[in-house]
Amino acid sequence: MNNGEQSSKQGEELWMRCPRLGGEAPFTYCLQEAGELPCHRIVICWQPFFPVESYLRKMLSPKKWEEFTARKPKEKIVSLLELIEEAKRKEE
Amino acid sequence: MEQTKVVLADNEIPTQWYNILADMPTPMSPPLHPGTGKPVGPDDLAPVFPMNLIEQEVSTERWIDIPEPVLEKYLIWRPTPLIRARNFEKALGAPVKIYYKYEGASPPGSHKPNTAIAQAYYNKAFGIKRLSTETGAGQWGSALSMACAMFGLECRVFMVRISFEQKPYRRLMMATWGTECIPSPSDRTAAGRKILAENPDSPGSLGIAISEAIEDAVGNKDSRYSLGSVLNHVLLHQTVIGLEAQKQLAKIGEYPDVVMGCAGGGSNFAGLSLPFVRDKIHGKKLSVVAAEPASCPTLTRGPFAYDFGDTAMTTPLLPMHTLGHDFLPESIHAGGLRYHGMAPIVSHLVKEGIVEARAYDQIETFTAGVKWARTEGVIPAPETNHVIAAVVQEAERAKQEGKEKVILFNFSGHGIIDLGAYDAFLTGKLTQHKLTDEEIQRALKSIEGFPKP
Repeated sequence: MNNGEQSSKQGEELWMRCPRLGGEAPFTYCLQEAGELPCHRIVICWQPFFPVESYLRKMLSPKKWEEFTARKPKEKIVSLLELIEEAKRKEE
Repeated sequence: MEQTKVVLADNEIPTQWYNILADMPTPMSPPLHPGTGKPVGPDDLAPVFPMNLIEQEVSTERWIDIPEPVLEKYLIWRPTPLIRARNFEKALGAPVKIYYKYEGASPPGSHKPNTAIAQAYYNKAFGIKRLSTETGAGQWGSALSMACAMFGLECRVFMVRISFEQKPYRRLMMATWGTECIPSPSDRTAAGRKILAENPDSPGSLGIAISEAIEDAVGNKDSRYSLGSVLNHVLLHQTVIGLEAQKQLAKIGEYPDVVMGCAGGGSNFAGLSLPFVRDKIHGKKLSVVAAEPASCPTLTRGPFAYDFGDTAMTTPLLPMHTLGHDFLPESIHAGGLRYHGMAPIVSHLVKEGIVEARAYDQIETFTAGVKWARTEGVIPAPETNHVIAAVVQEAERAKQEGKEKVILFNFSGHGIIDLGAYDAFLTGKLTQHKLTDEEIQRALKSIEGFPKP
């Protein structure tokens, strides 16, 4: 087994059934689920298994940590409206 | 011989859906448009939904007729049977009668077609030619695919890439029904291309997939978007489940003490429970329980405390004490513990104390699901396992209290296409316990080379 394969296998040690996705996902997916930020559920999903909050504090820059902690999920319909407006702008 | 199934004849299928908004004891706050700050109006939603569905979204009429073409399609698998889980009862050894609505009987194997069929019909009637949507593991995408095929609509499904690669069977189901299933992020939309330019190996996310589906719909006058949960009209269509259950229970002279469903976005829970919630609002004594995912294995048993502090009405359905306030910033409680994907109707009912939410972690849900499969036979969908875990807990309570109870729950789908999830559970791939320091160090070292924010 080469290093890449080994790394990939080991990267799959942390697995969780993602309640949003409806499927299994590795921790690495949760870390980048929101693009530049981790999934907003990452702490509640992973904290029972290991101190993910401490990990994130070390891994994220202070600015990113602040963005992550300040972010609030929106109501679905509000998200939809924002996406509609964004799509309209792209059309124009 | 004891009766196990209660079935309805085709001509006994409900011909109207039930709209809980007519009976809400307190009004729900309307969502506000993020751009104008004013209540959302029909025109705001018109770019993505046909007006006939928008009318249902805002309707306060108590009963809404189910169109004949929708009933014709429902009759392919509806009315679904009400089944008494006698073997599971025996295995639990508790003084309970357990009845379930078997929604796994639909062609795609879940409750989702109840609204997919209706949405496809209304879009067709409005002159729409193509629907687009997003899907995670593919349950919704496959249901909408079948519905579109039945009404002659094109269907385009943006499937989160990580699931697209892991779950070949649902995308093959979609393809069989004629849908174009596209891994998201894709090069079909500006939103997808932007992500791919930044990270060609992006595993995608629901957020990206929904952006692509909306962009796809907004960019074409003959296209609209379809959502399989959360919205009022989706919950409305699902009430056919509970209305059937009421008729079936009446046939055998039963009425539930507890009505339960698993709640991700809330549609299958609402579909069974809302007709019973109506009874509760009008004085009937029963408990209505929403079982939802949590990952905290030990702290979901005690009394729950909920925080409804924000003005956006995003709703926490997870107990605040599961993680404790001592080690988390308040902002993470606001962001992380709130389940923004939950239906506003369900959130409102929890807030009013009419519905109780309980959380179950992944290991206890799969444990319950396996117990079910080994007694009742049917392998439940992983989401369904949440409510089965809740049934186990309720039966245990009945045993401790020495009270006889009738439990009714919604068996939202079978898990034959989700056997990979069972494999992950049975082989110990899912993280199952609090990791030791050594395990943590090893696991974190192993992800050093992976992309991070």
